[in-house]
Amino acid sequence: MENENLKKWVNEFTNELYKWAYYKTSSTEASEDLVQETFLAAAEKLNTFKGDSSPKTWLFSILNHKIIDYYRKNVNKPVAIESISISTYFDEDGGWQQEKRPKDWQDKENQLLDNDDFQQILQKCLDALPEKWNTCVKLKYFTEKSGEDICQELGITSTNFWQIGHRAKLQLRNCIENNWFKN
Amino acid sequence: MYMFFLSCLKATELIEKKFHFKLTAKEKLQLKMHKMMCTACSKYEKHSILIEKGISNIQKSETPTIDVEALKTKISKKIEEFNKN
Repeated sequence: MENENLKKWVNEFTNELYKWAYYKTSSTEASEDLVQETFLAAAEKLNTFKGDSSPKTWLFSILNHKIIDYYRKNVNKPVAIESISISTYFDEDGGWQQEKRPKDWQDKENQLLDNDDFQQILQKCLDALPEKWNTCVKLKYFTEKSGEDICQELGITSTNFWQIGHRAKLQLRNCIENNWFKN
Repeated sequence: MYMFFLSCLKATELIEKKFHFKLTAKEKLQLKMHKMMCTACSKYEKHSILIEKGISNIQKSETPTIDVEALKTKISKKIEEFNKN
């Protein structure tokens, strides 16, 4: 009987759950897995669902936990964070390396944001980030959570968090400048 | 006065920190002073804000369509398997 409910929910909510998972992870593969895991977890603890909340709310809360696990797994994956070291961008005294100094981006901001080619380069540069940074950047932009909450979820210090963000941004900015403005 | 002077490395760190955490009064002042003197970091901040906007635009615009029906079938099968065990 209860299983009938679950089947109904698969039919009703898969699409919305998938969209949410994609919004949070930007990966179709991960999103499909996450939605599947969500329903399996739901099947496992179906008897604990008392109907206090709507099934949709319940399923989304399971999915959100799965998404946090997914982020955490990615952050903990060892990456060579020193591979692009800060000294690529700054000298010993913390001044800009000559060739990495930000240049003028002459186009008007709004024009750039409306430009498909620019968006594509941004996407490409985003994909090129090491996975750990990528996860942090995504968490930062694609969840409405505060910095403190994200750190807590990922088990990292706030200093670590914005430093990762800082390095990611340095690399992103440089990548865009190289690809867009030197054409 | 030396306490007001930031390196560009520190200044750009504060620019990033500001997106998510409140800066202390001292940090705010340090950053403001630094940007007044340093065009490179002022540009960096503009670019950084632009990139932030760009990323959220990307995120809003695309959800690739997948075969949701296939996914539903796949999940339903998994649930059946699960219930058998």
